[in-house]
Amino acid sequence: MRQSEHKESNASLLQVSNLSIRLNSAAGLVHAVEDVSFTLKAGQTLGIVGESGSGKSVMARSLMNLLPRRAVAQRKGSVLLSGREISTLSERELQRLRGPDIAMIFQDPMTALNPVLTICVQVSEPLQQHLGMSKQAARARAIELLDAVGIPDAVNRIDQYPHQLSGGMRQRVVIAIALTCNPSLLIADEPTTALDVTVQRQILDLLTGLQKERHMGMLLITHDLGVVASRADFIAVMYAGRLVEVAPANTIFKSMQHPYTEALFNSIPRINDASHTRLQAIPGRPPQLHNPAPGCAFAPRCPYAQQRCHRETPPVVQAEQAEHLHACFYPVSAPVALGGVR
Amino acid sequence: MTNTSEQATPLQLRNRDDIVLRLEHLVVNFKVGKQTVQAVSDVSLDVALGETLGLVGESGCGKSTVGRAIMQLPPPSAGRVLFKGQDLSNMSGEALRQTRTGLQMIFQDPISSLNPRRKVRDIVAEGLQIWRRPNQDARVREVMEAVGLDPDTVADRRPHQFSGGQCQRICIARSLALDPDVLICDEPVSALDVSVQAQILNLLEDMKQRYQLTMVFVAHNLAVVKNVSDRVAVMYLGKLCEIGNAEAIYARPAHPYTRALLASIPDMDPDARGQQGKIPLLQGELPSPANPPSGCRFRTRCPNAQARCAEVEPVMQAVADSMTPDHFVACHYPL
Amino acid sequence: MPAKKHPKIESRAQNFARALQQVFGRGFGPGFWLAVVWLLIVAFCALFADWLPVRDPLDPVIANRLNGPFTSNLLGADGLGRDIFARLIHGARVSVVIGLTAVSIGMLIGGALGIIAGYFRGHFERALMAVLDVILAFPWLVLLLALVAFIGQSLFAISVAIGFLWIPAYARVARANTLSVVQREYVLAAKAMGASTSRILIKEVLPNVILPVLAYGLVAMGLVIIVESALAFLGLSVEAPQPTWGGMISEGKRHLATAVHVAVIPSVTMFLTVLSLNFVGDRLRSRFDVKESNL
Repeated sequence: MRQSEHKESNASLLQVSNLSIRLNSAAGLVHAVEDVSFTLKAGQTLGIVGESGSGKSVMARSLMNLLPRRAVAQRKGSVLLSGREISTLSERELQRLRGPDIAMIFQDPMTALNPVLTICVQVSEPLQQHLGMSKQAARARAIELLDAVGIPDAVNRIDQYPHQLSGGMRQRVVIAIALTCNPSLLIADEPTTALDVTVQRQILDLLTGLQKERHMGMLLITHDLGVVASRADFIAVMYAGRLVEVAPANTIFKSMQHPYTEALFNSIPRINDASHTRLQAIPGRPPQLHNPAPGCAFAPRCPYAQQRCHRETPPVVQAEQAEHLHACFYPVSAPVALGGVR
Repeated sequence: MTNTSEQATPLQLRNRDDIVLRLEHLVVNFKVGKQTVQAVSDVSLDVALGETLGLVGESGCGKSTVGRAIMQLPPPSAGRVLFKGQDLSNMSGEALRQTRTGLQMIFQDPISSLNPRRKVRDIVAEGLQIWRRPNQDARVREVMEAVGLDPDTVADRRPHQFSGGQCQRICIARSLALDPDVLICDEPVSALDVSVQAQILNLLEDMKQRYQLTMVFVAHNLAVVKNVSDRVAVMYLGKLCEIGNAEAIYARPAHPYTRALLASIPDMDPDARGQQGKIPLLQGELPSPANPPSGCRFRTRCPNAQARCAEVEPVMQAVADSMTPDHFVACHYPL
Repeated sequence: MPAKKHPKIESRAQNFARALQQVFGRGFGPGFWLAVVWLLIVAFCALFADWLPVRDPLDPVIANRLNGPFTSNLLGADGLGRDIFARLIHGARVSVVIGLTAVSIGMLIGGALGIIAGYFRGHFERALMAVLDVILAFPWLVLLLALVAFIGQSLFAISVAIGFLWIPAYARVARANTLSVVQREYVLAAKAMGASTSRILIKEVLPNVILPVLAYGLVAMGLVIIVESALAFLGLSVEAPQPTWGGMISEGKRHLATAVHVAVIPSVTMFLTVLSLNFVGDRLRSRFDVKESNL
């Protein structure tokens, strides 16, 4: 039903243009998201990579209007979901979107689940509410969904409470809940950060598998380049509220343009490097987001920064390759050798 | 279980003069309700002078508990911890307090490990004050400068005015003030951002050189562990699976669990898409530590498990064709 | 790799000013400050009642009996013709003394027990909590009446009796906060450093427990004042003719039909004081909580 719609609207599922969000805080206005634009097509995955405080989670939450109203001081720009502007919708209209159109997965599966309700109640509630299913039908569908997200013995597990499940299983339940209404867009905000490496791999495989199978669009938000490298179609790197580089995944690792992307990539310890290899740390620390200084936010930490970088904010421009955007006056031109990088 | 002297010396303990830290048959039990859970079960290992031992495994495998048991916080339920030949687990009260200053610890959450109500100067000077060491101000300045903090701007502030990375520097400065021999790092970078993580890892390496430290580095991130470690010990459900030279273990893991861990590291090469299926991923769930599987604890998730694995618990044995000596594995059918 | 130095070195004064601002500066709003001002006035009256230029609170002037406010007396006179304004000011002393003493007793004993229970756990904690539960389950008024009957009706005795009632509440607050502090790694770090138990309790635990306990103390003080007035209503508070707010309300109830102000004025005073205490205590507590979670 919904599937066929998606295949036709292959143009753009989510189009964010010039999104800026300022938040109130004790220390003044926080420029959490600055002039962010990107497009996500149905059936594609966009990986958004950034450190804590880069604004990636604020942006993700603002897409679903989940930021506390009092916190948002200013919001500019437009968010089109399947061609429909959603940033101006009322709370009631948004509620109807959440579930059937956008669903979200959070970092901590324990807090995302209600500890006093059984898995069955939590998975079948949106089925009854949004799709008007009967209790019996919803339960049957919930078991199917739990099966689909790889929960063994779903028939029996469905009546358990969240605390009876392991972290990985809980995250699977959260994913099942997100999938209940067949969303066209899935936002996964650090879905594996709280999990162990071995479980992380399972959950990521599950997410990408489901995304392909259901032809969903997926925003995969993470601080770990490794998580998105082999799973996203596009990768967007966020720094101090701005997207500093956006490119197809296989392009970005071969020809990084923005010095921050390069520095981030180089600072990660590699499993193939010898022990005690000196890491290329990025000096300094991420900037404060209130009262940002003029110029490029990365300039104070950037080895290539020139005078101009401290004065003007670099605009987003097109690199040589198609679909490769970056915001740097002096892009790192030399392609990075990829030999055996892991 | 308490009488460790009757047990044979584990094979993996090296016979060297420069062993600073040696754990023999370490057991740590926790009471969960009425049940007793063995968080660490018969772990023996040693660390030589100037060496860094990486301790890896999934959460709940007991690696952090080992780190704390070394410090006697809390003391192990059985087994011995030998620090420069002295048995810490036999000491009590004053003697333990004295000797333990030679071991220091840094923790995962740098913010929770700093008292929010105290000034950085007092935090760093804590150990010096407790032991009434002379020249405290000079020593505090020295270690603060060593970890890259400016004593003049930093000393009078409180921890909440700093970022996570700077808090971890303060923690490192505090642990170094008493000039310890051994530094136990419990997931010191996993709460930090990628760009700051590299700074702290480099700093730890510098401090190790400057103060001749021996380190035990507990972490779940295998790439981080490899970067800092000379030797690596892999733990699963409270048991030691494999221990040996870092390069050797990463290049040729002998235990199926080590291999599975290595295989689950996310791939940084987008071209490797689809090639990840070569090594079977770990299936199933971590069994409950309250009720571990019989025989080899990993057998329920092991792709190579045989009938024998359920019956006989594997003991440590030397890896036959390893790149380096002192590589040991507890598996009936090593890879 | 050295950390980036801070762009400018702040002077001690700037640092202090900022610390002040962090605790008091933002977000309290005018209501908080009004409450603080009111409490300061009450405290001032209690301290300096004897030297303030007001009439004698014990001097009955029959001619002024039940006069309304703004007549012969600023806030009127009571059934015996005593000046209500003067009695309010002198009565503040009783409220403040009982409030402070009772809260201090509860805080010192309950706080210490709570910290010890939270730190050492084990049998002591279980035994203590059991005893506290029993005290909490006991009807407080009955207990209070028994205590007052036992130790007498002096200001000090009443303070001690009320303070005793507050021990369980403080012990619970202190214990809960201690439990959360003890799990913090800085306590572990101090142990690794060789700190003695008393040093850990004083340097690491106490500073983190005392602020929430103090903030709770302000809220408790409001309740203590109400408890005192309840005792006064039963004729069990400080003995007449010493003026207390509770006693004044109690006396005023006889004249409710003819002269409402005799009961209303002390009631409003007490209401404002209790409200202010709750308000300030609550705001301070939430401020400390936020600071904890913000870290």
